Amino acid sequence: MPGHVHKELVAPNDTRHLVKIREVVQEAAAQVPFDKREVGRIVLAVDEAVSNIMEHAYEDQENNEGDIRVTIDADCSKMEVVICDSGKEFNPESIQVPDISEHVQRGKKKGLGIFLMRQIMDEVKYTFVQGIRNELRMVKYVRSQGGGDSCQS
Amino acid sequence: MPELTIETKMIGESSCLIKLSGFLDAHTFEQLDEAISDLFDRDVFRVIADLSGVEYISSAGAGVFIGSLATAQESGGDIVLVNPTINVREVFDLLGLSQIFAIVNNLNEAAAKFK
Repeated sequence: MPGHVHKELVAPNDTRHLVKIREVVQEAAAQVPFDKREVGRIVLAVDEAVSNIMEHAYEDQENNEGDIRVTIDADCSKMEVVICDSGKEFNPESIQVPDISEHVQRGKKKGLGIFLMRQIMDEVKYTFVQGIRNELRMVKYVRSQGGGDSCQS
Repeated sequence: MPELTIETKMIGESSCLIKLSGFLDAHTFEQLDEAISDLFDRDVFRVIADLSGVEYISSAGAGVFIGSLATAQESGGDIVLVNPTINVREVFDLLGLSQIFAIVNNLNEAAAKFK
């Protein structure tokens, strides 16, 4: 892979843009030594994070308008995705692990995305700066098959 | 190509086949939600969802099935998922849904669930 992968995109707060975001994440993850399954999982984790922001962050704004910035940095050892918005505070770390059986019994359709993010990514860290932005930083590390340095050729 | 295509076909009076193709995500899940709600409104609670054409699913898409299952079962029906792609199966496994839903390989197996 190239020494370093950097991608950045800014998308309007509209779920129509999820397809494009997934494409960008997929392209970046495919350049890191992840297997195909891990690439798919990382795409899912980012999609869940952005979908969650699109549902909550700008709901108090007129016409729900706002932007979401996705920044990806990756090398042969890891992929880091930072997602920023300037909407209201929403800390995914405050969400408890869902009980799927309860979801079924109660007919709950939402509230599973953060669980998936946590399951898939090695690090999920949220930072809120009042009046500035929400920042969600997620990292996935490469696990080499031999257990050694994944950056060795 | 549309992001999500939904085709419905009644099987007898009480069962319906829903064939889904494309992406089932936070942008498209409401289409499926409306399709299933429409079936429930018509007292059709036996739902066979053909997932062989679903390229991608997120928790928003899976949530439609999760949120509809109890209504279907409490009304004497069920939601049977047919031939999910590897990508879809992966998400079901992550969510622990493979133990909750009837997941079968083909339409004949799905039909047998309702006999």
